[in-house]
Amino acid sequence: MDTSTVNTVLLIFHYFFFVYTIAAILSYMILAIISLVETSEYKKKNSFVNYKEILSSRISPSISIIAPAYNESLNIIENVRSLLSSHYVNYDVIIINDGSKDDSLEKLIKAYNLVKVNYLINQQIPTQPLREGVFKSTNPAFEKLIVVDKENGGKADALNMGLNISKSKYTACIDVDCLLLEDALQKMIKPFLERTDVKVIATGGVIRIANACTIKNGKLLDVAMPKKFLERAQILEYIRSFLLGRMAWSRLNGLLVISGAFGMFDKKIAIKIGGYDTNTVGEDMEIIVRMRRYMEEKKIKYKVAYIPDPLCWTEAPDNYKTFISQRNRWTRGTIETLKTHRKIGLNYKYSELGLLSFPYWFLFERMAPLIEVVGIIYFTVLLALGSLRWDYAFVFFISAYLFFVIFSLVAILSEEHTYHQYKKKGTGFKLIMTSLLEPFIFHPFILYAAIRGNIDYFFNKNLKWGEMKRKGLSKT
Amino acid sequence: MEKLQYFIEYFNEEPLIIQITWIGSCVLFITSIGLIIYLKAIRSHLRKNEKIVNTYQKKYEELLITYLYAGAEEEGISSKQQSIIKKLESEIKNEFKREIVITTLLKLKNEISGEMADSIQELYCEVGLLDHSLIKLKSSSWYIIAMGIRELTQFHIEKVQHKVVKYANHSKNEVRKEVQFYLVSLFHFKGLDFLDDLKVPLSEWDQIQLLEVLQHSKDQEICNIIPWLKSKNDSVVIFALKLAEIYNQFETKEILLSLLTHKSEKLRIELIRVLNHLSIFEAKEIIKNTFNKKSKDEQIAFFQLLENLCDSNDKSFVLEQVYNKNFEIKFAALKILKTLDNNQFKNLELIPPESEFVKIAKFLQNN
Repeated sequence: MDTSTVNTVLLIFHYFFFVYTIAAILSYMILAIISLVETSEYKKKNSFVNYKEILSSRISPSISIIAPAYNESLNIIENVRSLLSSHYVNYDVIIINDGSKDDSLEKLIKAYNLVKVNYLINQQIPTQPLREGVFKSTNPAFEKLIVVDKENGGKADALNMGLNISKSKYTACIDVDCLLLEDALQKMIKPFLERTDVKVIATGGVIRIANACTIKNGKLLDVAMPKKFLERAQILEYIRSFLLGRMAWSRLNGLLVISGAFGMFDKKIAIKIGGYDTNTVGEDMEIIVRMRRYMEEKKIKYKVAYIPDPLCWTEAPDNYKTFISQRNRWTRGTIETLKTHRKIGLNYKYSELGLLSFPYWFLFERMAPLIEVVGIIYFTVLLALGSLRWDYAFVFFISAYLFFVIFSLVAILSEEHTYHQYKKKGTGFKLIMTSLLEPFIFHPFILYAAIRGNIDYFFNKNLKWGEMKRKGLSKT
Repeated sequence: MEKLQYFIEYFNEEPLIIQITWIGSCVLFITSIGLIIYLKAIRSHLRKNEKIVNTYQKKYEELLITYLYAGAEEEGISSKQQSIIKKLESEIKNEFKREIVITTLLKLKNEISGEMADSIQELYCEVGLLDHSLIKLKSSSWYIIAMGIRELTQFHIEKVQHKVVKYANHSKNEVRKEVQFYLVSLFHFKGLDFLDDLKVPLSEWDQIQLLEVLQHSKDQEICNIIPWLKSKNDSVVIFALKLAEIYNQFETKEILLSLLTHKSEKLRIELIRVLNHLSIFEAKEIIKNTFNKKSKDEQIAFFQLLENLCDSNDKSFVLEQVYNKNFEIKFAALKILKTLDNNQFKNLELIPPESEFVKIAKFLQNN
């Protein structure tokens, strides 16, 4: 290659990175502005809502909470108690013991006076068969509880069993170790009942990190900031993602994912599309994309709604090994879903879904880590060729860094103006410090996990969920 | 000075894109410093504000309790009460304090009942808070208007009904909801008159809220719901169907049956549910005659009705449906058949049908 060719290639790279960065920055800014407007409007509108009436109404629609459990013996009793403490009247809790090898079932039987019942299951979605069967409590205090013991089939399979078992119109799919606030169900059901112009097919709620919070008897008593940087960085990341990202996508009706930790679905549509896909590790994203695709193809006006209230608290990984494994799985899930539904991308027949959400997700979620790695390689090549202008590199780096910090600060401000969950003195300073240090300490691990996810997707097809060792919310 | 000069020269020599990036970085740097300062300020403001609110709330609570217990034996306001009114009048001139006074009044109102609750209501008018709520109604912001109506509802101010009703067809849903809530909370069934002229759909959420308010009101004498059953607004008809169900409106039978041919499927499903609740036998034959033309959801709803209202005349119809492809219909049909003729149900099992059929039959046999 002669010098002019090398220069041309370098120039193409220059412009590619420049255009990509500007596009990313602009899209983040637009999404942030839309999110801020939408959150403030939601808060205003919600200040008039009286949730008490819906709580006690016998005509309020039924909801099934479906919580898959695999080897959760350590905390299962307390977790179920937490799920049973919702203030909503018309609901039941379906625990799917997905072939646990531990004594989860025995513990549940003992704690909740369970007995095996004859239960007719409408097997609308194929799942692994029952193992011990279906159990209900003899104690009227736990009449809302149904425990299903089945052969192991993974989270998606367990959720599908829950969809088959449920007799309710709506299902809330939740991780069993999540802490649901008492008013979570009525807040999540509201969009389904409120919209008359479109059919709401699913609602997603904000997930907050409960590490270091005080939880007793399934109730959140105190919100605190964890000591470990990794946990703090995840708190900031969740605030940014939920308050500045998803809220905007909800407004644009372009939400592609509802967190697997807590989401509510119109059961009929979830079943019509065949339930959760058991062949992906990103079943939470995949089901939303498939439901949306179904509605688009049927030409039915629909919405995937989103509730910015902090309704569900969960335990985040507190060590880098588990964290990387989790993010690796998220990356594989994203790749699998985007690949399965690639037909949607840039397809005008799928309106906003095809022309906006899907391309955005592909460019700035799927491709971002790969482009970042290419950028690092490019930087190294320039360095090796001696063509690096340090002053240019410095100014680009500093502007990217400052933009990232500002984005985090705006997210924190949005949180303060709306929910102000981290009230304790000193937590503001900790969040600011986290946003300043995050790009150096936290981001490299996210990038590493994403690259590992890509490698595993292409070269390690047998890799599935991976394990997350939990301490339990009451012990966090 | 030399360094600055060097930097200016360096800056001027750089390409435009680098110059822009430098300027951008400076702007971002200043913005981030500004945001950090603002964040610190807003956090301390919020903490301080919380303390101030608590202090004022305590202060007003004490004042209000004193007011409630300082009532004169004879009718009228005692001098102590008069001085409290004056104090509150001056306090509510400040908007921030006014909102705290309203919150405190409401908190107390919800904790007490009887004459004392009435005194709170009177105090709301005496200190001039009513005027402030009415001023809110004139605002150009939907949020302020809705807040004003909410206050009037919470303090049960019936005399301003004519001023509130004006907003019944407001462009903003939240305002309309507040009007509806005001009317039904204060005037119960009479307040439902707004349904006569409702142009927009009444959501399921709104319906549940209104029905709950109605069910908790002392006045349980339901008005004539027939005009709403004839409404052109489908959501009003569905709401009236719910009223017919909750308040057992058997006298609406004829009009209910006429609605079986309504164009809205959602409405027809709701109607079958209500017909089932009211045990209207006549519906059975009408639906049976058009059963195959009905949607799956209607058919399922009908079988739920049939489970409740079946008799031996339905046996042949039920037998036709035991091999229906739909699980719920098949289950209901077999269940009804077992009730009507257990021998025939047992004989059906001898025919080797598909596994789902066997599963249901076995389940019914054991239960």
